[in-house]
Amino acid sequence: MKRRTFLMGTGATLSAAVMGVPVAQAQHRPDELVWADGLPGSLDPHAFSDVPMQGYMINVYDTLYVNQDNPPKLVPWLTTGHTTSDDGLTVTFKLRDGVKFHDGSALTAEDVVWSFHRLLSIKKGPAAAFLAVLDPDNITAPDPATVVFKLKQSYAPLVSATPLVAIVNRRAIEPQIKDNDWGQAWLASNSAGSGAYILDPSTYQPVQQIDMKRNPTHFMGWDHNKSPIEIVRRRDILETTTRVNALIKGDVDCTDSYLPPDQVERVLASKTATVSKDQSMRVMLLRMNNRKAPFDNLNFRRAMSHAFNYKGFIDGVLKGYAVRNAGPIPVNLWGAPSNLAPYDFNLDTAKDYLAKAKAEGAPVEREIEIQIQQHLAQTTQAAQILQQSLRKIGVNLKIVANLWPQLVSSTAKADTTPDMWAHWVSAYFIDPENWIGQMYDSQFHGTWKASCWYKNDKVDALLREARHLDDQAKRQPLYEEASRIIVADAADIWIYNAIELRGISNRLHGFEFTPIGSGADYRTMSLTS
Amino acid sequence: MTRFVLHRLLLTIPALVGLLVLTFIMLRVLPNDPSAALAGENATPEQIAAVRKAYGFDEPLWKQFVIYVEQVGTGDLGNSIISNRPVIRDIAERLPATIELTFVSLLFSACVGIPLGTLAAVWYQSFFDHAMRVVTAAGLAIASFWFAIILQMIFAMELDWLPLRGRFPVGLAPPLHITGLYLVDSLLTLRLDLFGKAFAYILMPAFTLSLAGLASIARFTRAGVLETMQKEFVHYAEAAGYARRRIVWVYVLRNSVVGATTQIGLLFGGLISSAVAVEAIFDWPGVGSYAVNAILTSDYKAVLAVTLVVGLIYSVVNILVDVVHAWLDPRVAEKL
Repeated sequence: MKRRTFLMGTGATLSAAVMGVPVAQAQHRPDELVWADGLPGSLDPHAFSDVPMQGYMINVYDTLYVNQDNPPKLVPWLTTGHTTSDDGLTVTFKLRDGVKFHDGSALTAEDVVWSFHRLLSIKKGPAAAFLAVLDPDNITAPDPATVVFKLKQSYAPLVSATPLVAIVNRRAIEPQIKDNDWGQAWLASNSAGSGAYILDPSTYQPVQQIDMKRNPTHFMGWDHNKSPIEIVRRRDILETTTRVNALIKGDVDCTDSYLPPDQVERVLASKTATVSKDQSMRVMLLRMNNRKAPFDNLNFRRAMSHAFNYKGFIDGVLKGYAVRNAGPIPVNLWGAPSNLAPYDFNLDTAKDYLAKAKAEGAPVEREIEIQIQQHLAQTTQAAQILQQSLRKIGVNLKIVANLWPQLVSSTAKADTTPDMWAHWVSAYFIDPENWIGQMYDSQFHGTWKASCWYKNDKVDALLREARHLDDQAKRQPLYEEASRIIVADAADIWIYNAIELRGISNRLHGFEFTPIGSGADYRTMSLTS
Repeated sequence: MTRFVLHRLLLTIPALVGLLVLTFIMLRVLPNDPSAALAGENATPEQIAAVRKAYGFDEPLWKQFVIYVEQVGTGDLGNSIISNRPVIRDIAERLPATIELTFVSLLFSACVGIPLGTLAAVWYQSFFDHAMRVVTAAGLAIASFWFAIILQMIFAMELDWLPLRGRFPVGLAPPLHITGLYLVDSLLTLRLDLFGKAFAYILMPAFTLSLAGLASIARFTRAGVLETMQKEFVHYAEAAGYARRRIVWVYVLRNSVVGATTQIGLLFGGLISSAVAVEAIFDWPGVGSYAVNAILTSDYKAVLAVTLVVGLIYSVVNILVDVVHAWLDPRVAEKL
């Protein structure tokens, strides 16, 4: 064969191969959902506790209680309910009958006990919510349907925090344990759950793709959904523009829930998708290190609080897709005072407070530094808005880029914690403890949540009392009072409570938002062709 | 030639050790401790300290480095501190995608760049030559992420000719795994239908990635051909009555592409680093996007492993380029 003939033949064959297949079109099965959102770093639900993990865990695993609806309600799931002793130290859960793991074995109280033992032994992720009050030996199963927790001290948020803990299949994990690792290496790429969807470990690729299929024998049944989704393919598409284009084109059925406002407009203008706008419980704030001068001066902190252009940020940058949050507790959660006046943007007031701070000896001339999260544009935008205002009142703010792990590390000590930094506090469990309790009780100093190093004995007392009371009606005024004091002390700059913006394909139905997991509960969803 | 290859291979060892030391220092000297993030929400300082101890982050830096080098020496690049899986496994799953993308880009760059450069030299100072210079200057200047988005908007969103993102259709089984390179595997298994799909998916990312390389190769080739055409053997060949086409495309080109060939070797490193952005935009499941995630989560073992593997590939490619260089120009081989 002559070379030219060979080349022409090869070219023609390749052309035919490329032209002959309709590659540009999405090729989903009608019952196959492609969910383009962030993925957890590992699949071990006891090792990670972030928002992507919640989205995975609520589908593959079951928990004692779950959160449903918005505002969320705590609903018994694996349990039929619980009782708490009068002293608040013993909490007893009764389990449902007939719950089976994906391998067909029964889920019993022993599995619940073993799951909590594993969690408290690994001491990662969600363990932190329980370590202070629970010893592994004090969780027992007197019979196959009863689990008893004996607490070191009464802890009202215990039941609210149970949705953090996946109940895992001991029989699936134990054979995989190596070097006393509690099966962590194995569970990082496999599953051992009972949830409504089953992981396909053969196609799993960390932070890239997770495939799941429906569990037809899930204990809650499927009567609520006549055409459930059979296959879920979770994909993490790093680039926002690509993610949104993929939604509009029909490649994927949803995006993440933090769409930038300009992309929201694009999705809304398309004929193939829409945007679900749901008020969440995710508070954005600028931290101030209350231990470092000049932030150790109340008037300086108040000056800073009046120097941020809240309306400009929410209406201008976020196009109104956020709700002003006056204090640390999300405005849509009990415990947030209904009449709490937020700091307003007023540079004249800020100047007055600055003058008072200066008169009190605060070094207001020194350059202060705010650290932003490099890959989260909103943190940069918020810092720039503050920088612009501060320049007008003579305060020099330097913006420094950093990454989350480094920022978290730096908050272990007051002197390494930045002057200021920007972040959000998301909903991990639905209780004021998740926000105000862990952010402003001084016993949490050294954690990133308490990184403003605020210390007020009255607030400590209120938060500790609220933590140990079982009655929400009695806890609520304590949190409200603590909120007022903290806001008056201008411990931080609270900006907004998020409205989550998730692009959703028009063929997707049954999306029900709840702040935990950001609505990624596939049980309720279905697709039209 | 064997001695030359062995010599070049030996030289890669100190280069890789140097790379490892530099990367380790850059990652670990910075205030970069992932313990707090690993310990999870609300972890107390005591829990964070326990995690630090468990992962050996409390050891002196030199000791951490010695332990790591000992591990690497036994072929163990360690487990990702985030995914808890062997990093070599994660990289092995993704590397074929990056290699395929990079080689197809190189192929584009060479197959289009060399003829373009040759024609520009042959038609020196013509409209084509001027146009080529403008286009290649633009090719070097255009940001790949911008160009990628423009391609996506035209060919995927407007015309609907090519897929927007990914490496293969979601839900469709890729070709039987032989090399991990979908184009090669589909041909080896005689699955032209799968080849067509894989080819369509790689077109836009590979073209985006090839743009700067294409421009660079075209310019090097043009300069090389212009220089060679002044040589005496070309005048002799013309006087002897050889066809112009034969003189240019066989004799002149072979003597001119030595510089461009060296450029291809250098380009490879650039393409791998540019692949990070291109992979992110096209959602291409390669080591670039893996490295981005590893950096964002301070997964230093994953970052070190990616650096080491990419450095190794870069070294091997450059050895291959040297071999090709010696083949094209026998005088180089004679000097060895």
